[in-house]
Amino acid sequence: MFEMFEYDFMQRALFAGVIIAILASISGTFVVLRRYSLIGETLAHSALLGVAVGLVAEYNPLWSAVVFALLSAWLIEYLRSAFALYSDAVLAILLSGSLAVAIIIVSLGGAFNNSLFSYLFGSILSVSSEDIVVIALFGTLSLGVLLLFSKEFYFIAYDEEVAKTSGIKVNILNFVLVSVVAIIIALSIRVVGSLLIGALMIIPTIAALQFRVGFLKTVFISLTFSLFSVLAGMALSFHFSLPSGATIVLCIIGIFILSLVANRR
Amino acid sequence: MKFSVPIFDVKNLSFVLKEQTILSNISLEIFPSEYIAIIGPNGGGKTTLIRMLLGLEKPTSGEVRIYGKKFSHFKDWHKIGYVPQRASLIDSSFPATVLDIVKMGRTSQRSIFKPLSKLDRELVDDAMAKMDISDLKNKMVGTLSGGQRQRVMIARALASKPEILILDEPNTGVDVGSQKRFYALLRELNQKEGITIVFITHDIGVIADDIARLFTINQKAIICNNPKQALSCEEMSELYGIEAHLLHVHKHEH
Repeated sequence: MFEMFEYDFMQRALFAGVIIAILASISGTFVVLRRYSLIGETLAHSALLGVAVGLVAEYNPLWSAVVFALLSAWLIEYLRSAFALYSDAVLAILLSGSLAVAIIIVSLGGAFNNSLFSYLFGSILSVSSEDIVVIALFGTLSLGVLLLFSKEFYFIAYDEEVAKTSGIKVNILNFVLVSVVAIIIALSIRVVGSLLIGALMIIPTIAALQFRVGFLKTVFISLTFSLFSVLAGMALSFHFSLPSGATIVLCIIGIFILSLVANRR
Repeated sequence: MKFSVPIFDVKNLSFVLKEQTILSNISLEIFPSEYIAIIGPNGGGKTTLIRMLLGLEKPTSGEVRIYGKKFSHFKDWHKIGYVPQRASLIDSSFPATVLDIVKMGRTSQRSIFKPLSKLDRELVDDAMAKMDISDLKNKMVGTLSGGQRQRVMIARALASKPEILILDEPNTGVDVGSQKRFYALLRELNQKEGITIVFITHDIGVIADDIARLFTINQKAIICNNPKQALSCEEMSELYGIEAHLLHVHKHEH
């Protein structure tokens, strides 16, 4: 069981996984409460476009994933506020558009290979030392912003208009939240993969909500589920040579089903 | 009273949405310590007027000044407490205790680096005590009755120590017994705390004896400075767009 800790690549993967589990569950709480769950999927596909650009340009794809996810997040907020479009329609358009452009770029650049596959489904083998630096740097920054503005994000999630009339800068904070979510999504695709990161962000919170407790307890339960799923999923991935993203998501779904059954009314 | 600076000064306010006139040339003032009810038919523009007072909608023409300032220059939002129409229709799965919700009232006045201060905690406790919900503070807000939820929402507004409380149909989803207690509570906040109260209501019969001024809104505004002299049949007919008749009910003292 503990032999996996002897490998350098596993130490890197576990370090990255723990940071991502913390970030995804905390940011996921606000995203779910704002009924914005689909944003994770859309930003993950925009991050994949960044990966495609990085692979073709032979540059670290994690950096370009962060940039493209951020640009996409800002575009979503701009379209939502400036054109009064339905939020889910904006997300669906950007999701498909990002994926389409990503496929064309990797196709033209001849980058359809195992490397791209690992970004789609996550791979614990692929976390490099440079990735660890990027994840630690942006992860700390994102966590700091989430904690600093947690009470404002919570208020906005509960009632955006009352938050606005109480003097909270709602529009600016909406941009800040989607920016942080974009960064977290981009950081996560190494370990969890772009097709599965949405689940890591959303399902632990949905499972925690089944317990019907206050905000801080909900965040704590979600964080515990997220950490457990990432660590258990990585261990399963290591022992059975499975893609890490898939094993992590299956662990979360297992926890969600247990939470649902345990809190059935 | 009229010599002080109005909290809200509305001049020639109009709002047109998709070529439909919602509000037309409304002018009114709201002064400190007033107790004002807003009535009118559904779709008459009452909620739109309140949303414009709060800067949630921009007028097509005209101007709203708040404490003598334009919205862009006004910073003291903690002086305004707002309880929207849907306040008691809470998503029951939202992870919030009563305390979580009332603490929100302190959010805009807390530094981003500071936890809840002693003063914040006192104001939160005080707001819950005034609304008689202290014993519910650890309950999930989604499990409360309509009347209890409504008191939680007002406690949240009171926690910011407002000078004016604006409530949009606060009795939506609340039983009749709670409604009377609720209006008594509003009157007490007005008389004992000096908080200006402005609320939209359809319960004109319940509040007629208490209110100081009545705004009747149906695209245009009729300001009634002495609501104890009931609106005339002509005014009611004009307001609601239907023929109105007065029904006299004799009360017997026991």
